Amino acid sequence: MRLSWMIGGAQGLGVDTSANVFGAAVARAGYYIFGSREYFSNIKGRHSYFNVLLSDSPQHSVNSTVNILATFDAETIFQHYDEVTDFLIYDKGVEAMTIDKVRSLEPEIAVKAAAILEKAGLGISIADVVKFLEKKGVKCIGIDYGPLMKDIINQLKMDPFVAEKARNMLCAGASFGLLGLNQKYLLDAIKSTFKNAKIAELDTLAAQAGFKSVQNSYNLKELPIKGHRVQLDGNTISAIGKLYGGLSFQSYYPITPASDESTYIEANQVLKTSDGKTRGVVVLQTEDELAAINAANGAALTGARAATATSGPGFSLMNEGISWAGMNEVPVLVTYYMRGSPATGLPTRSGQSDLLLAVNVGHGEFTRIVIASGDHAEVFSDAVMALNLAELCQTPAIHIIEKTLANAYAVMDEETITSGKFKIERGKLISPGDPENYKRFELTEDGISPRAPLGHAHMYYTGDEHNEYGHITEESENRIAMYEKRIKKGQLVFKVLQENQMANSVGSSDTVILTWGSPKGAILDAMEELKAKGISVQMVQVRLFSPYPSELMAKLLSGKKRIIAMENNYTAQGARLLTENTGIKPTHYVLKWNGRPMTKDEVVSSISDVVKNDTKKVVLNEGK
Amino acid sequence: MKVNEQLEFNDWCPGCGDFGILRSVESALSELKLDYTDAVLVSGIGCSGKLPHFVSGPIAGVHTLHGRALAFAVGIKLSNPKLNVVVDAGDGDTFGIGVGHFVSAGRRNVNMTIIVHNNGVYGLTKGQASPTLKRGEKTKSLPEPNINDPINPIALAISSGYTFVARTFAYNIPLSKEIIKQAIQHKGMAFVDMLQPCPTYNDINTNEWYKERVYEAKVDYEVKDQSEVIEKMNQAIKLAYPSDEKIPLGIFYKNSLTPSYGERISANISNYEDYYPSMQEIEESSAPITSIDSMVQARRVV
Ligand SMILES: Cc1ncc(C[n+]2csc(CCOP(=O)(O)OP(=O)(O)O)c2C)c(N)n1
Ligand code: SF4
Ligand SMILES: [Mg+2]
Repeated sequence: MRLSWMIGGAQGLGVDTSANVFGAAVARAGYYIFGSREYFSNIKGRHSYFNVLLSDSPQHSVNSTVNILATFDAETIFQHYDEVTDFLIYDKGVEAMTIDKVRSLEPEIAVKAAAILEKAGLGISIADVVKFLEKKGVKCIGIDYGPLMKDIINQLKMDPFVAEKARNMLCAGASFGLLGLNQKYLLDAIKSTFKNAKIAELDTLAAQAGFKSVQNSYNLKELPIKGHRVQLDGNTISAIGKLYGGLSFQSYYPITPASDESTYIEANQVLKTSDGKTRGVVVLQTEDELAAINAANGAALTGARAATATSGPGFSLMNEGISWAGMNEVPVLVTYYMRGSPATGLPTRSGQSDLLLAVNVGHGEFTRIVIASGDHAEVFSDAVMALNLAELCQTPAIHIIEKTLANAYAVMDEETITSGKFKIERGKLISPGDPENYKRFELTEDGISPRAPLGHAHMYYTGDEHNEYGHITEESENRIAMYEKRIKKGQLVFKVLQENQMANSVGSSDTVILTWGSPKGAILDAMEELKAKGISVQMVQVRLFSPYPSELMAKLLSGKKRIIAMENNYTAQGARLLTENTGIKPTHYVLKWNGRPMTKDEVVSSISDVVKNDTKKVVLNEGK
Repeated sequence: MKVNEQLEFNDWCPGCGDFGILRSVESALSELKLDYTDAVLVSGIGCSGKLPHFVSGPIAGVHTLHGRALAFAVGIKLSNPKLNVVVDAGDGDTFGIGVGHFVSAGRRNVNMTIIVHNNGVYGLTKGQASPTLKRGEKTKSLPEPNINDPINPIALAISSGYTFVARTFAYNIPLSKEIIKQAIQHKGMAFVDMLQPCPTYNDINTNEWYKERVYEAKVDYEVKDQSEVIEKMNQAIKLAYPSDEKIPLGIFYKNSLTPSYGERISANISNYEDYYPSMQEIEESSAPITSIDSMVQARRVV
């Protein structure tokens, strides 16, 4: 069962808050949630929306269509009316509003929205949209927001300017009413979200008013719940993973969608440890990303677990610092929030166009650890794993989290992250017995030297080629040995990781969907529906991109009839790495680069198209 | 034959002012009884950047990237505040490619020292003009006279918030050593403008040229009360723009009243000075020991 609900409105008017409250309420009734947030690079006024998928089992993607479109302005309706299948909740007060009057609507969208209506012989007002939808069988529920809000304002004697903001909650209340779940779940969610009693009261009244305006239509039943469930977005779960993994220094320069992680860490920087102490995490907001990566490098040299977080533009600036870390065998973690590029690109939208940059970041040949998470649970475990791999191999690690995951939230079983199955491995971190004659870059069998923190031994670091002590030398035999050292150390990764940590294979079929990152969710969510259509597929999701698990991939993919590369970019970068490393080529492609996440329905239709019609390349374009 | 790989051959040009700086740094560190257990030398890229490799004595060295020495240094210092961090960087390093870090370090008042080898040129890339070379001057390898105005390092440091600002001359080793010692002991961000002849590329600001101009200025540089800050800053800036050809040396400004960055962090993390990042235990027999319960529970929906 999957039910898709969407709420939209101008940025700054509580779209996120109402989506969080709505999601929490549904989760309290026992449902799992996947919520995806889309917004402009803007602070106030531009259209943003939240798409919440609810289900009786964990979900990881959104649909192409929405069952319930919840609105309290006109713009959201013009933007999304063609996606609704069941219900439109709208403000009766905006019925006369026409498309041309909504100035913040992007011209391309306005033209399209108007064309559909005009083709149906209608005008371009909200009333026309309502007519259009009712003809399609969509129920349109008009709510008198104005008068309802006025009643509440009078009752509470509140400043209307403040109180009017509760329209979002009225809208959420109406949505919740349609589901047929007990109202108390919604009211409880409001109570635990708003600490300010006055605001909580206001939102409660608004939600109740909304709830009363509709009738139970979906008849959802409460579901049994075992254990606790948490609602976490990608930024937060990455932060918690890093802290759990022992992070004690984080530097950053503000950038969307990365900085929320750092602000969260700073807000939680004093941590309790099970040895009865508290430990403080230093969070440094730097002057730029050059400082961010290099301050993290410096911190790592002292033995602290150090990281930074950024996205495309900042990552580009970090090239040189990452190269230095490779040369000096520094365990530093860069959490790379991937968004639409090149340049500032689509700052608040998603994309997978920088995988090859991550794998090749920094000049020179050296081991970079690059891992990419496919869902929220992986973001957590990968954050710990990335810190471990960086330290085990003494080399920079890059953890890719797409904006799609960063700004989406999932309701998941709490034990996914608290099960205690995670380990911290610090590798060859030592305090040397003979600190005066310590060799930081001692040549060893596996390419990894015993690592003493600064302060524990006499040592040298330099970005120039160096000898075992870390002094500069350009001598050629030493050059050969050190060069090999920095590359061969990567082999350790294959020894410590399990196969499913390198590439996750689900199902078994001679048709493989080869993917990485966030499309994983849409693919998993689509597999059942594909099966019902008689199409069986296997998903192979690559999680480790550097060093590349060539052997494993050859094993997983050899002899397959179809290998369908499915990625959020133009050139199938993940598949290019497969070919480069194994010679195996995809047979088909499903690609999307409009900055929006892949939907479950897109996976179903594109894979059907490939399998039935042998279509070599399908380009997807859904999402506003 | 046995060679000592722990020593690196010093390849500065004969007569380079860096030799004097090296001597002053070595003496300062040794008189303060600092070694690898409690000090680290961080350097940028340039002739100056090689300094840590040439130091005799057991001091750890981190030779970083062009312009980024201060960024590394901040990370080292904040993770292990017990280390005395001394940065040696070129004037190109500091006031060209890395000038943003120089300004930001002042704003934070991190408790460390930066010694800038001010030689007016980019030594290691064969003598291009550095940001301190005066407009109209044509040092040896410039095809045309410099058409950029110079920055004033002292004034920049003062306006950026450095709480210890001094100038010395590479060949005045006793003064340089003394100033470096005081800079290291100062609780806050210290800047030493080290005038350094580069006999190979800077044929204007030579040893002789400096010797005719430098003198030890005696000013009451210390801020003893918050009310004196502006006055003392103005005094330092005035001294940095002399009306004659003379070049004052010595401490220009010192303010121990401004809280250091470490103190500012301690305001948020009360045990920061005693249990800083580099010493924190994070696991026990590989099991993570950091509790995330409160964070997770705050996100509980059921
Ligand atoms: C990013 C980067 N750009 C350019 C260089 C080349 N480079 C090496 S040293 C140097 C200039 C050094 O001048 P300065 O900092 O004044 O040091 P000096 O050699 O004079 O001591 C430059 C530009 C580099 N190493 N890195
Ligand atoms: S080029 Fe100038 S600064 Fe560099 S070593 Fe030679 S004299 Fe010294
Ligand atoms: Mg120079």
